Amino acid sequence: MDDDAGDGAASGGTKRKVTAASSSAAAKGKAAGKGKAASKASALATAKESSLLKQKSPAEFFAENKNIAGFDNPGKSLYTTMRELVENALDSAESISELPDIEIIIEEITKSKFNTMIGLVDRQRIDEELYDDFESAKAREKRLAKEARFQETQAKNAALGKKVKEAPAARGKGRGEAAFFRVTCKDNGRGMPHDDIPNMLGRVLSGTKYGLRQTRGKFGLGAKMALIWSKMSTGLPIEIKSSMKGQNFISFCLLDIDIHKNVPHVHLHEKRENKDRWHGAELQVIIEGNWTTHRSKILHYMRQMAVITPYAQFLFRFLSDSPDKNLTIQFARRTDVMPPIPLQTKHHPSAVDLLLIKRLISETTKQNLLQFLQHEFVNISKSHAERLIGEMGPDFSAKTTVKSLTSQQLVRIHQLFRQAKFDDPSGNCLSPAGEYNLRLGIIKELHPDLVATHASSPQVFEGHPFIVEAGISIGGKDVKHGLNIFRYANRIPLLFEQGADVITRTALKRINWSSYKINQQQDKIGVFVSIVSTKIPFKGTGKEYIGDDITEIASAVQSALKQCCLQLKSKIVKKLQARERQDRKRNLNRYIPDVARAIMETLGEIADESPPKRPRYDKEDEELLEKVNSEEVTEMTFRDCLTQHVEQVDYEMALEYAMQSGVSEEPREALYLNSLEGSYKFIDFQSPVFVFRFIP
Amino acid sequence: MSEKKRRGGAGAGAASGSASKKPRVSTAASYAESLRSKLRPDASILATLRSLASACSKSKPAGSSSSSSSASKALAAEDDPAASYIVVADQDSASVTSRINRLVLAAARSILSGRGFSFAVPSRAASNQVYLPDLDRIVLVRRESARPFANVATARKATITARVLSLVHAVLRRGIHVTKRDLFYTDVKLFGDQAQSDAVLDDVSCMLGCTRSSLHVVASEKGVVVGRLTFADDGDRIDCTRMGVGGKAIPPNIDRVSGIESDALFILLVEKDAAFMRLAEDRFYNRFPCIILTAKGQPDVATRLFLRRLKVELKLPVLALVDSDPYGLKILSVYMCGSKNMSYDSANLTTPDIKWLGVRPSDLDKYRVPEQCRLPMTDHDIKVGKELLEEDFVKQNEGWVKELETMLRTRQKAEIQALSSFGFQYLTEVYLPLKLQQQDWI
Repeated sequence: MDDDAGDGAASGGTKRKVTAASSSAAAKGKAAGKGKAASKASALATAKESSLLKQKSPAEFFAENKNIAGFDNPGKSLYTTMRELVENALDSAESISELPDIEIIIEEITKSKFNTMIGLVDRQRIDEELYDDFESAKAREKRLAKEARFQETQAKNAALGKKVKEAPAARGKGRGEAAFFRVTCKDNGRGMPHDDIPNMLGRVLSGTKYGLRQTRGKFGLGAKMALIWSKMSTGLPIEIKSSMKGQNFISFCLLDIDIHKNVPHVHLHEKRENKDRWHGAELQVIIEGNWTTHRSKILHYMRQMAVITPYAQFLFRFLSDSPDKNLTIQFARRTDVMPPIPLQTKHHPSAVDLLLIKRLISETTKQNLLQFLQHEFVNISKSHAERLIGEMGPDFSAKTTVKSLTSQQLVRIHQLFRQAKFDDPSGNCLSPAGEYNLRLGIIKELHPDLVATHASSPQVFEGHPFIVEAGISIGGKDVKHGLNIFRYANRIPLLFEQGADVITRTALKRINWSSYKINQQQDKIGVFVSIVSTKIPFKGTGKEYIGDDITEIASAVQSALKQCCLQLKSKIVKKLQARERQDRKRNLNRYIPDVARAIMETLGEIADESPPKRPRYDKEDEELLEKVNSEEVTEMTFRDCLTQHVEQVDYEMALEYAMQSGVSEEPREALYLNSLEGSYKFIDFQSPVFVFRFIP
Repeated sequence: MSEKKRRGGAGAGAASGSASKKPRVSTAASYAESLRSKLRPDASILATLRSLASACSKSKPAGSSSSSSSASKALAAEDDPAASYIVVADQDSASVTSRINRLVLAAARSILSGRGFSFAVPSRAASNQVYLPDLDRIVLVRRESARPFANVATARKATITARVLSLVHAVLRRGIHVTKRDLFYTDVKLFGDQAQSDAVLDDVSCMLGCTRSSLHVVASEKGVVVGRLTFADDGDRIDCTRMGVGGKAIPPNIDRVSGIESDALFILLVEKDAAFMRLAEDRFYNRFPCIILTAKGQPDVATRLFLRRLKVELKLPVLALVDSDPYGLKILSVYMCGSKNMSYDSANLTTPDIKWLGVRPSDLDKYRVPEQCRLPMTDHDIKVGKELLEEDFVKQNEGWVKELETMLRTRQKAEIQALSSFGFQYLTEVYLPLKLQQQDWI
């Protein structure tokens, strides 16, 4: 702790002793003194350094390894900051069963504006050559020549009518201008208790979401990482406004974090007036970022979030000095049915390790082993616990006090937990998005032609239950041709590292789309898979993808997608039939001239033959041939007759089709029932595809 | 005496040849050469051939009559052959024209009455083609399917059928012949590609119950013939011994052929052009009077018709020289039992009783064909071979089954050219004479 300071003091001390009090600049003297001191006591210093055991605070660790939390570069940092704030806001609102209403504003701050904000005078460049992006005369010549050549080819292409390529973005040499953004996120959630605010936001690895339950965040890192990043890139504190339900004041707090100590550093903490009884939280943080590179990721994130949380309302705004870049997107609420709050659950015996057993023992209120086993774990009944204790050996009995267990005994319990058979944990503690919501979300955001959803029953991987929900949509707006994959883990979208993910791989390799009449290249396919679990087995450091090596999850994803495909297949087949019906008339009419000509040519030749040479035909045939001779029957006659026939057949087929498919082919209109104004007491009847509300 | 002399001479020749040309004598080559000494004088081989030919021509009438009578009996047993199988026959253009007239008139009347039109077309699907052991050929089961115009699935086919009927009608009326390609080009836009017009042409043959040549539509020339044969092609006298090395192209229109005469003792059917050229250049037909015939791979209709015609008129035994691979056997089967595509006309196209002279899988070891001339069979070859083993026409001939099993066991195949490893003329000088001498055919 305070290494630098101590070192500085020590060298300062030596300086005073060795050299006379030379009143030169402190830094200069310090450096010289340090050099001398080092040469004198070098042996001593090395010995001291090696023996020096350094401690690192969690905040420091994460500041150095920002990429773990998704702060790899300014662009990604902007994205991650935004998403952490959004996810916290959602959690906060859901925790008090309030329909989330979230407002996100990203405001671009130019360098000069930023400088005035921090009270720095904007300086003009004097020595141009000093800068990294300075362009020497030679380089300038080269660039101009290149641009001229490019324009030449451009003109040539334009003359030839070829597609004109976009001019390559002129990229300045060097690191480029840093861009700063003010990210604001406002929600209508629980808010934070006035006194806890500094600790909740100014201390890394402190959180309210620890414990075994399905949560969006997990480590108590998100908002704090944003704070660390703001401190690293701009040095500006975070601004928090918060109020809890029924509170008559708003807490206002301005704080940053002491990275070395991992403690909050409060600038301002006060109560302000709360006139309109607002509750929730508003966080504002100013960070370095990059909007150009991560714009699409951020917008994708918002869209995907809107798909999986159709019960939330998002307002996303981007503000900057140039109005044409400004952006306001509203993601409207489409339902007021929220998934239930995930319940905290107890551990499954097959999923605990030695350390966890120790922690559970230290935290338990139960006295003896029997009660401990029975109450601190799921799926251990009393009789089951007794059998387990009997199996553990003679050292154990139901009355053994848990706190007195030796570490050897704990190992024995752990071993037995590994080997013994337990029922699978139930999925009751999970809170999937729900087929209804997923469907609504897809329809709301993509407006697809067809959609199918499926929710699997809970399954288990390493003692943790998981549920896979899948949706597949065909067509829609703003959807690419081919597969568009939307991945969700615990109801948050995953955007990065798509290639290795279990969902991507399953959709690409293990689904035979063509057997469901879906064209993998041509159709606009939306694939939505949401996995919820008490523990999502993420791969890699960032929580960005789920590995493809877990067969339980892979097969659950596959079967869910297949179910969706099966539902779609019948609909697609019907559509194809309908299209065929439309094309029929056109296809048939196309051949009429050919047939008429072929028949007429032959008839003409038959009629030409003189009757004595020609074999005798029936009376009717003779009549026909006479008509041909007298030109009463011509090619046009055949054409007309065939056209009429096709008309009639088409009509009959259309009737038959309508009989089969029912009279459902009337033009459809999207219909959405608004929820009732005012508050009612509802009784919900839930079904996978709809919710029926009854007002008694 | 003379035999002794020959043997000595041949032996000396072989010895000197091997000594001078190849200092390091491979045993296979010397063995192959030693076979030369086994040859008896041509006169004695000719004697055996003569007896074979006479036996064939004598027994043939009996055989053919018995086979045809048995065939007719078999057909008679099923009361009406036309009822269960489609059998087409050659017909003169007048009767074909009148059949077309009737079809067109019916269609025209149907259209005028507002009912559209539809053709009843016999189905030529693979499942409809069956091999009849009694007849020893593939036949087409009679099963007609409607081809209505007012159905998206069949509209195009119905249109093409109508068009082909009218084109054929025009051709017949003018008394000319056209090729399939000619027909296709008269309405390229409608037909799209030639496979479609060809397929419909076969459909039309079935509908009218006549052979394709009766429609006056022929394929282009493919097969060639050379040897002791004279015939008239459209009135011009052709002497096939004076056709050079290339041979006389087999006329695509069999009606043009008349006045077949020959002093040959057998017909030699060759799979490939290369072997055919060797035989022609060495004037093999002068040493052993024969007619040499090839279709250069899979036989076309004209070659099969021609072979059948020769066989029927000259009553000569037919010997086949094909590659030792499943494909060679398949070609043989087409000559003998017909192809699935033309099963409706199998009665006119097949020539039963072809003997498999070579190159047979057992020959590879018998003649010690060196390893570098044998090829490993591909997976596809093996698949085809196994399928052939299941075919009825193979099962009928025990010798063939054995040979095929040998091929599948050794997993080796060889072309006729493999024999060239003993010298380019080994085929004509040693292999074939020895085969004929030993009557080594099955």
